[in-house]
Amino acid sequence: MEFKVGELAQLLTGEVLRTADDGSVLVNIGNKNHTLKLLKSGTGEFEFILDNRFHHAKVLHSGSAEVRMMLDGQPITVKKHSKLTEVLEKASALGGTGGGDRNLASQIPGRVVNIAAEPGTDVKKGDVIVVLESMKMQVAVKAHKDGHLKEIKVKQGASVSRNDVLAVIE
Amino acid sequence: MGKKITSILIANRGEIALRVIRACKELGIRSIAIYSDEDVRAIHVKRADEAYHIGPAAPAQSYLNMTKIIETAKAAGADAVHPGYGFLSENENFPEMCDKNGMIFIGPTAKAMDLTGDKMKCKAVMKKAKVSTVPGSDGVINDVEKAADIAHEAGYPVLLKSAFGGGGRGIRLANDEKQLRQEFEMASAESKAAFGKSALYVEKYLQRIRHIEFQLIRDSHGNGRHLFERECSIQRRHQKLIEMSPSPVVDQKTREKMGEIAVRAAAAVDYLNAGTAEFLRDPEGNFYFIEINSRLQVEHPVTELVTGIDLVKLQIGVAQGEEIPFNQDDLKMNGCAIECRVNAEDPFYDFAPSVGPVPYCNLPYGPGVRVDTYLYPGCTVSGFYDSLVAKLLTWGSNFDEARVRMRNALDEFVIEGINTTIPLYRTIMEEKNFIKGELSTDYLERFRVFDRMNDEAKKSAEEKASAAVAAALLHSELVKKGAPAKSSRWKQARVSI
Amino acid sequence: MHEEKIKRLASMKKSAEGGGGDERVEAQHQKGKLTARERIALLLDEGSFVEIDKYVVHRGEDPTIQKFYGDGAVTGFGTVAGRQVFVFAYDFTVLGGSLGEMTSKKITKVMDHAMKVGCPIVGIIDSGGARIQEGVNSLDGYGDIFFRNTMASGVIPQITATIGPCAGGAVYSPAMTDFVVMVENIGQMFVTGPEVVKEVLSQDVSFEELGGARAHGSRSGVAHFVAKNEYDCFDKIKKLLSFVPQNNAEEPAIVETNDDPNRVNPNLINMLPENPYQQYDMNEIIKSIVDNGDFFEIHELFAENVLVGFARMGGRTVGIVANQPMYLAGALDINSSNKAARFIRFCDAFNISIVTLVDTPGYLPGTDQEHNGIIRHGSKLLFAYCEATVPKITCIVGKAYGGAYIAMGSKNLRADINYAWPSAEIAVLGPEAAITIINRRELKSAPDTPALKKKLAKEYRGKFANPYLAAERGIIDLVIDPMETRPMIIRGLEALATKKEARPYKKHGNINL
Repeated sequence: MEFKVGELAQLLTGEVLRTADDGSVLVNIGNKNHTLKLLKSGTGEFEFILDNRFHHAKVLHSGSAEVRMMLDGQPITVKKHSKLTEVLEKASALGGTGGGDRNLASQIPGRVVNIAAEPGTDVKKGDVIVVLESMKMQVAVKAHKDGHLKEIKVKQGASVSRNDVLAVIE
Repeated sequence: MGKKITSILIANRGEIALRVIRACKELGIRSIAIYSDEDVRAIHVKRADEAYHIGPAAPAQSYLNMTKIIETAKAAGADAVHPGYGFLSENENFPEMCDKNGMIFIGPTAKAMDLTGDKMKCKAVMKKAKVSTVPGSDGVINDVEKAADIAHEAGYPVLLKSAFGGGGRGIRLANDEKQLRQEFEMASAESKAAFGKSALYVEKYLQRIRHIEFQLIRDSHGNGRHLFERECSIQRRHQKLIEMSPSPVVDQKTREKMGEIAVRAAAAVDYLNAGTAEFLRDPEGNFYFIEINSRLQVEHPVTELVTGIDLVKLQIGVAQGEEIPFNQDDLKMNGCAIECRVNAEDPFYDFAPSVGPVPYCNLPYGPGVRVDTYLYPGCTVSGFYDSLVAKLLTWGSNFDEARVRMRNALDEFVIEGINTTIPLYRTIMEEKNFIKGELSTDYLERFRVFDRMNDEAKKSAEEKASAAVAAALLHSELVKKGAPAKSSRWKQARVSI
Repeated sequence: MHEEKIKRLASMKKSAEGGGGDERVEAQHQKGKLTARERIALLLDEGSFVEIDKYVVHRGEDPTIQKFYGDGAVTGFGTVAGRQVFVFAYDFTVLGGSLGEMTSKKITKVMDHAMKVGCPIVGIIDSGGARIQEGVNSLDGYGDIFFRNTMASGVIPQITATIGPCAGGAVYSPAMTDFVVMVENIGQMFVTGPEVVKEVLSQDVSFEELGGARAHGSRSGVAHFVAKNEYDCFDKIKKLLSFVPQNNAEEPAIVETNDDPNRVNPNLINMLPENPYQQYDMNEIIKSIVDNGDFFEIHELFAENVLVGFARMGGRTVGIVANQPMYLAGALDINSSNKAARFIRFCDAFNISIVTLVDTPGYLPGTDQEHNGIIRHGSKLLFAYCEATVPKITCIVGKAYGGAYIAMGSKNLRADINYAWPSAEIAVLGPEAAITIINRRELKSAPDTPALKKKLAKEYRGKFANPYLAAERGIIDLVIDPMETRPMIIRGLEALATKKEARPYKKHGNINL
């Protein structure tokens, strides 16, 4: 399988070759063989030794396309199936009315302090649609693409969570 | 005054509340905490001797609710109130109300607060006391000719500031007289439109400046001392990120000279208790007074580390009417201390605020490492309050030792569940200009620190790449094991024909 | 010595796994769609897939219809997070994924296996429909599949993913499965396609508008989930599988969730606005009481006035049914009755406890509802609750008026534990409507009707707007402090875990379909 680690351009191949009785696993990463030994595992969290170096990993979210984890205290995202992702990206490009990405979602939790755009108008990528407040800071949420602002799903004063859909742009 | 304090209500939350509680515990003083709905499980609530609920999450209804806080303090029988920083700490009605209700306010008098809060008034007082201030107008300017004169005297470029604007708003730059006249018209019109009158003042625009402040303490007997300087030049949008003491450009002579001026400034406003005199220093070495912050500041531990003085305990002593227990020459600058403000913001994503539960955290420790924080594994970072989650401080016998200790401590510091500014500080600790002491308020842009930070993140990802892939492979193996197999009841289940 | 034979196998394997050939695979990719085998690889655990019937070909004599290995479907078994599942995926690259006699035999074989073994079956649809050239054989093929869908219904969980066309009679198989996931802009389902619609009715409508994911997700309710893309589709299926048991004889696995079962939330009561007519989001309450705030909502876009979905409480899977005051003030209507009733019956079939949260002003009035049969559809919800023998815990959070109060898991429908918040209002009618009846005479002869109405409404509210009258009768088991909602429900679930309840013997009831 091919993995894309974080923002690195170079893909890394990785596969499990075999598991031994003593719990160690022989893996091939980037065309080099490594021994991997699992030390301890709990819910979504585990410690392992890769070639004599100790690591601690905690999986925050795991989906078909990617695994988000904390590795040795640092957040990192590993994407699998990059070839398939290339294929799927054609679908969003092809999609008739705005593809699969009509939703403008919030990256942060916060409170809506200002609705800056009118539903029913056309907007350009980068236009400020909604202003959120969090931790006494104001953050402008901008349109992720050009299009027609179909609706704004939140009201002034509403609380939003991370990934909540704020507006629909077609 | 002269009353012994046996109990203190801390009108604040987060790490500063915990800091004051610690000082109380050392002095045998009963600590009384307050908390909003959001802070029910906060650490300061757990550590205080008593804790009282004062309202819903929103600051206006809780930590800024003066009436409720005073009521609570009285009901709890508090002798004194410590305001911490932020919230009500610079609201001149607060010391007044404490006074009216027979409680000691641990901080300056309402009068001193009021004076230091008004920048123009304060500037006038400083001028009288022969403390040099930023060249510019002494008061509000209503006419463009006057503005041009003052600008000419102070020297271009100048800033046109609105007397009512704040937080960086309403500031215009003029590089020469022609631009000044243009900007003045527009600024005047804006001010009239927004506030009904044109109230502008002119200030020389200082460039490549360092922000250097002096810690002050003044008691009720007229004794004033300074506890040396802190350099806080590394800022973003006027918020301090890193502070250190001593400043790389302040030698002993300058320290004594500016310290004396700072003490004089405090006397000029008849200041009481702890405060900070802030100065801007231009590349030629000239210091200009900006303002006195009439509270204990976020970065006070930096001074505690290089002087060995516990500032909170000192505050309490002064509030009890005691004389400051040391002379100016008793104080010695010892070693070097650095503080990094760890904020819950994502430096890779334009400092987007990050809130939520912190399921796990590992605080660094070891020689010369101090962490002032409200974090503990399982706590929650709230979106209702500011983004400072921890102050990481290191002390070393010289700057380099402090710097390397900070770098290593940043590596050890793990906070799960939120994004923090730790990667930014990590980059700065190894940045060559920082190491040389080349600081200024435009440090981050000047040396393209964000680019460096992004590059380093990339490198670190490369190094960790194999381990990340190994973790992903291990994870899918573990997932395959799934739920433990139990004896299936399917085989025994009733089978229909 | 046997090298030749091994070589032959390898080449056949390669040929079979190539589907309809490189060109057609490329065409599939160009459309932004994955092949059947790629999809199965995304669904199942790495390396766990065993494909069977790889070399099946159709028995037709017509040389113009090429024989491809696999005959348009990829079938087999594997594991999802270590749990056994059977899977079939139509292969669009082979004869347009059309269903022929042998294709159907392959699919029905894995369905039979799943039934024998007692594990979930997942179907991935990407098909042009019946293979016209095979005539009645292909219709037979569909019939065989439909029969098994019906036999398996309520025995093993059946999930369908529509990632491509699914037209004509073929749509009835997904319709009979338990959950349908459609991928936006790619999955389409309709009985009659746009061309025929244009011809017969002169109505011009696009594929997506007629039967796309959003249309079925929000208007018809055929789709339980609308996935953004194929990854999202499989993520949803995996998440769904994690909540349900393997078959109807087993209970869902209890998972350690690290969320303190005794966690209280003093802020919970504040989620209700002071004004009972003001809208609020029931989601906030649900997210606060379930483990880790993880509520897996089903039918998110359909009948938004009621919320259904899975969550865990104290590690146990529960099915949540709740009114959503943000839409239609939380009133019940045709679609929401259907949505909730089907969900409840699924939970009952698969031993999943049901937790109901109530805040509803009643049924939506109007000729639209009446003439479309709210009477019939509404009765399904009552039927489903009564029929269900899994543990049922209800908590009335706000309003609970009239028939809607009864319909939302009330005590007399044999809910096991009924809690209420102090803010609960249990009454036959809301204040405004009630006083126009009770105080009709007074109001007629009143000098200042609006003021009197207000006063009477206040009195009525004071008398009835509380759960204590019901508590006095034992209809509400306990009025609880809202902040304890989570621990109280979890303790109830633990107490009811071994519940056994019988129902009178019958072939099956006559639910008003």
